[in-house]
Amino acid sequence: MDDSQIVHRVLQKDPTALYLLYDKYSGALLGVILRMCRNRFQAEDLLQETFVKIWENIGSYDSTKGRFYTWAYRIAKNTTLNALRKPDLLIQTDELSVHNNKAQSEPEQDFAELNGALQKLEPHHQEAISLVYFRGYTHREAYKEMGVPLGTFKSYVRQALSLLRENYSEQLVILWFTIELLA
Amino acid sequence: MKKNKILEDGLLEKYLLDELSDNERLLVEDAIHKDSDLRAEFDVLEANFEKMAFENAIAPNAHVKGELQKRIGSPGPTERNRWPLMAAASLALLFLLTTFWMFNKWQAANDQLNLIESQTLSLQERLGVLEENYELTNNRLQLINSPNTIPLILRGNEKVPNSRAVAYVNHQNKLVVVNPQGLPNLPDNQTYQMWSDVDGEMIDMGLLPNDKELVTLKYIDRAESLNITIEPAGGNDHPTVERLISYVTL
Repeated sequence: MDDSQIVHRVLQKDPTALYLLYDKYSGALLGVILRMCRNRFQAEDLLQETFVKIWENIGSYDSTKGRFYTWAYRIAKNTTLNALRKPDLLIQTDELSVHNNKAQSEPEQDFAELNGALQKLEPHHQEAISLVYFRGYTHREAYKEMGVPLGTFKSYVRQALSLLRENYSEQLVILWFTIELLA
Repeated sequence: MKKNKILEDGLLEKYLLDELSDNERLLVEDAIHKDSDLRAEFDVLEANFEKMAFENAIAPNAHVKGELQKRIGSPGPTERNRWPLMAAASLALLFLLTTFWMFNKWQAANDQLNLIESQTLSLQERLGVLEENYELTNNRLQLINSPNTIPLILRGNEKVPNSRAVAYVNHQNKLVVVNPQGLPNLPDNQTYQMWSDVDGEMIDMGLLPNDKELVTLKYIDRAESLNITIEPAGGNDHPTVERLISYVTL
């Protein structure tokens, strides 16, 4: 079943369809949320919040404008950024303070580390992509974080994306070649 | 917005990341919609973005899905699917009420039908009795009025003075009918009985209860006279001649 069929069922308020989307995309979304907030407990809470928003706002998703993941990513990013803007409130609610203490006493796993095609990029390309795609920075915030001029930062992002594109195309060619050989 | 500007300014990436102002977003969306090259560019960007995300995915703990399921609810009839169910339930209720109403109506109709049936039966019985009575009366009238019928008066002797019975004898039809109402009443253990005299022998014609208007008796051939005696209730095999109260010669 493709995403459009599943989304159609979510629109009809079928919870099973939402859980199918969760099974497919929760890992990718948690990868983003966790790299933004760096606290697993909070990240999982925000992931749950993200899927509740997906459930409630699926009517505003327009498949002609882009993939489901892109739409869900935007929700996850905005939900996380909103939560990070009011950290005090979060700490005061429920058991978060306990977990924060725990986080302070035990070193948190380094979720900043990136995998896949990104690993093959130069460190400055990696960081540029990581800042804007995985850590929720806007271009205007990210170039300051990296300490390079905005123009330079933009070209880093474009170069990185171009390299990633080549890399994924190569993967496709290799895959095609392997299939041809097997055939 | 021009394609080159969108590409050079990295607006596709910013659009993907939701970093554009509302105005810029609408312009880029419009450009993607109109320009197939831009559309293809954006498709690749999105696909690579998604691949990158999957390569850097981190699996959440299982309890997160459980928590989500608690908040969203388990699969079942959805809001939209509840309407047909409610419609079906309403129809079922309507059907039930209609059935109940129809059942009551049917019961009432059935009771009335039973009543009418029993009334009809009773009327039929009464009609049967009336027809029987009418036939009997008609036969008797015809018998009495027939020119071949001989009316005979049986006057009571000294035992029952001033009493009388009337016999109608029709030799052609071989019928005898007697009106015994002029005979005095007897105790319960006694009855009147009628006999025909044939060559000196008394032959039983039947009982003659005086509470009836007309009594049909057996016609006996070659009878010379008709005789009435008082006998024990239920009648006798032989006449008690001592208690002969009336006779008439034919």
